Amino acid sequence: MTATVAPPPESVRRNAVRGKKGRGGIAPPWFFAVPALLVYALVMLYPSIVGAGSAFTDWSGVGEQRSFVGLANFKQLIHDDQALGALRNTLFLTVAIVVVQNGLGLLLALGVHTTIKSRMLLRVIFFAPVVVSPVMVSFLWKYVYNPAPDAGLNAALGAVGLGSLRQDWLGNPSLAIWSVAFTVIWQCAGYSMVIFLAGLEGVPPELHESAMVDGAGTVARFRHITWPLLAPAVTINVMLSTVGGLTLFTQIIAMTNGGPGYATDTLSTVLYKQAFVFGKFGYSTAVALVLAVFVAAVSFIQIGYLRSRETAA
Amino acid sequence: MASVFERPVGRRHLLQLAGGVAAASTLAACGGSSSGGGDGRLKVIGAGSQEAGLRKALTEYKAKNADFDFNLSFSPADQLQTALRAQLAAGNAPDLHAVYPGNGSAMSMVQLSKAKLLADLSDQAWTQKIPTGFKGAYQQDGKTFIFSPGTSVLGAIYNKKAFATAGVQPPTTWSELLTVCEALKKKGIVPLALGAQTPWVTQLINYALVPGTVYAKQPDFDDKMAAGSATFASSGWADAMNKYLELQKRGFFNDNPNGTTYEQATSMVGTGKAAMAVQVSAVLQAYRAAAPSPDDLGMFPFPATDTVADNWIPGGIVVGLAVSAKSKKADQARKFIEFCAQPDVVGAWAEAVACVPLYAEGQAKVDPVLKPFLPYLADNRAVPFMDQRWPNAEVQPTHFAVVQELLGGKTTVDGALKEMDEAYRKST
Repeated sequence: MTATVAPPPESVRRNAVRGKKGRGGIAPPWFFAVPALLVYALVMLYPSIVGAGSAFTDWSGVGEQRSFVGLANFKQLIHDDQALGALRNTLFLTVAIVVVQNGLGLLLALGVHTTIKSRMLLRVIFFAPVVVSPVMVSFLWKYVYNPAPDAGLNAALGAVGLGSLRQDWLGNPSLAIWSVAFTVIWQCAGYSMVIFLAGLEGVPPELHESAMVDGAGTVARFRHITWPLLAPAVTINVMLSTVGGLTLFTQIIAMTNGGPGYATDTLSTVLYKQAFVFGKFGYSTAVALVLAVFVAAVSFIQIGYLRSRETAA
Repeated sequence: MASVFERPVGRRHLLQLAGGVAAASTLAACGGSSSGGGDGRLKVIGAGSQEAGLRKALTEYKAKNADFDFNLSFSPADQLQTALRAQLAAGNAPDLHAVYPGNGSAMSMVQLSKAKLLADLSDQAWTQKIPTGFKGAYQQDGKTFIFSPGTSVLGAIYNKKAFATAGVQPPTTWSELLTVCEALKKKGIVPLALGAQTPWVTQLINYALVPGTVYAKQPDFDDKMAAGSATFASSGWADAMNKYLELQKRGFFNDNPNGTTYEQATSMVGTGKAAMAVQVSAVLQAYRAAAPSPDDLGMFPFPATDTVADNWIPGGIVVGLAVSAKSKKADQARKFIEFCAQPDVVGAWAEAVACVPLYAEGQAKVDPVLKPFLPYLADNRAVPFMDQRWPNAEVQPTHFAVVQELLGGKTTVDGALKEMDEAYRKST
């Protein structure tokens, strides 16, 4: 038996076509975006463009006196040992944060994506540091890193018979950057965990079941099923932690102020000091512009690579 | 004619209205900046170290002037550099605000007056009483731009009980200082507390030593630096930094000074765990608060050499107050400054923040702890804090950083001083 279906009325077909255009609805008129664009232009574009202009002047940050200096600030940046040292520190921190924070976040996500009874409590505990202000976390860890033998981490090491491992965690120029990196990772690993957890929730369980029937072990299932399907979560986590690492500021200012010496200075702390401590707003803006372009370039390259990986998966 | 609110509002008209409101709000926000706020009160931002004196002066002035009111807040040193500079840049600075005397900081009198951000106070009578030696701290191009109640001295704040335990007295020469430190160390007391994680603390020992190792021999050292005929690296600064390191090598500092904060060092001296800390008298109140009794603490000039006559002291004008050039309440602010400059108010303010008053009618009332320093001031054996004559805001932070590097073993005295010389030679 053959069933015949009458064609839909013209108005329905027209709406269906429009719906395709608007991804499931009526396409809104373009000028609906105007108020939002105006606000964006006013609070973002205009100040950014005016600010960027300062990079080509010798403005001190206060007063009206300023002269156009062309590319002098950018030339100075190339020969600035302090800025180059800060760039090295920035890259070190970024790599450490991206690798360790995401590695740890993935392990935590795999750990709490199980059937153990306390998984919900553990998720809350691991995520809790994320909702605390970075300044609060920095001051908390500054206390933990107290160099006195009877305080903080050193006291804990002493109590378990590891007194020989006591350190001047923030005062030793060779160790301070590791201490800062650890604090950032401690705070943000829970954030990566939540994103990976969302990815893990989207992996169909029947894939694992059929692989188990085929005799695949835990490692093989992770490698061939979980990891490829986590590609979107990896993209987001790597992107966010890279941008966070490249622009790291709060924890450093609160914990070490870039010291001892210049041991923990990053590009963000250098541009802050140039503007507000040295009174060189023009040069500071040049550093900020270079940082912005650098972050954008790294992000575009990264997202291009990670998106291609997602497609391949 | 019907008002717009009586007509039915179509989509286009609604957008026109929204746009108009947004534009009006924006214009109001951009054009309506007024210095000091619009509530009729004088907006004042002071330095945290001057709180006791400034609050006292404002309260007293308000009691005498019924129509006067103020909105007072305080900033620690680092926030003065950021929040206040941002307000100055935006043209909405408070009516009265803290400014560092002399030059050498982005928030110093010279830097801000050059940018035409400070009101000229030269027509006030008190400006004629500024001692010649201190004019550079208050004046630029012959005009007075700040008021400051007096001089803070720098020396060793010491715990008398710790000294008594070790059976020692305040030293008067460098060798005696080393002997005293050795005796304290043998008794298990940290001789010198150093909180070098707090950047500004790093400079204090050098500031205490340099008057003896540099200025006692070359009183015109600053002029020679400005003329380019002297350098930090080839001066007594090297001697001072070597002595700084000698104190560390002999184990006279607390462990890990680079990881210790100012607050921790203050607590160590207050509780007697440490015997001394090199500090400015302006922080005496904080040290007293950390001690069981304020009488537990004393202060003495920190000796730099073995020749008593060469042991000069650093004495710098404390953070001052200036009237914003853009203030709409400038007259009110200037009248308050004039009140502050009366000798009895200067004296009360100076006493509250443990500094030596700028001037006094008759005998100045000074915190008894500061008495060992008075002969140095009377004999002209005191030099302003070094940064007040540095030409730009980059030398001082460089000094902080190189001292931390020295303490961390990451540079040498020669390398540190060369870096300071490079910062000094950069443009103003």
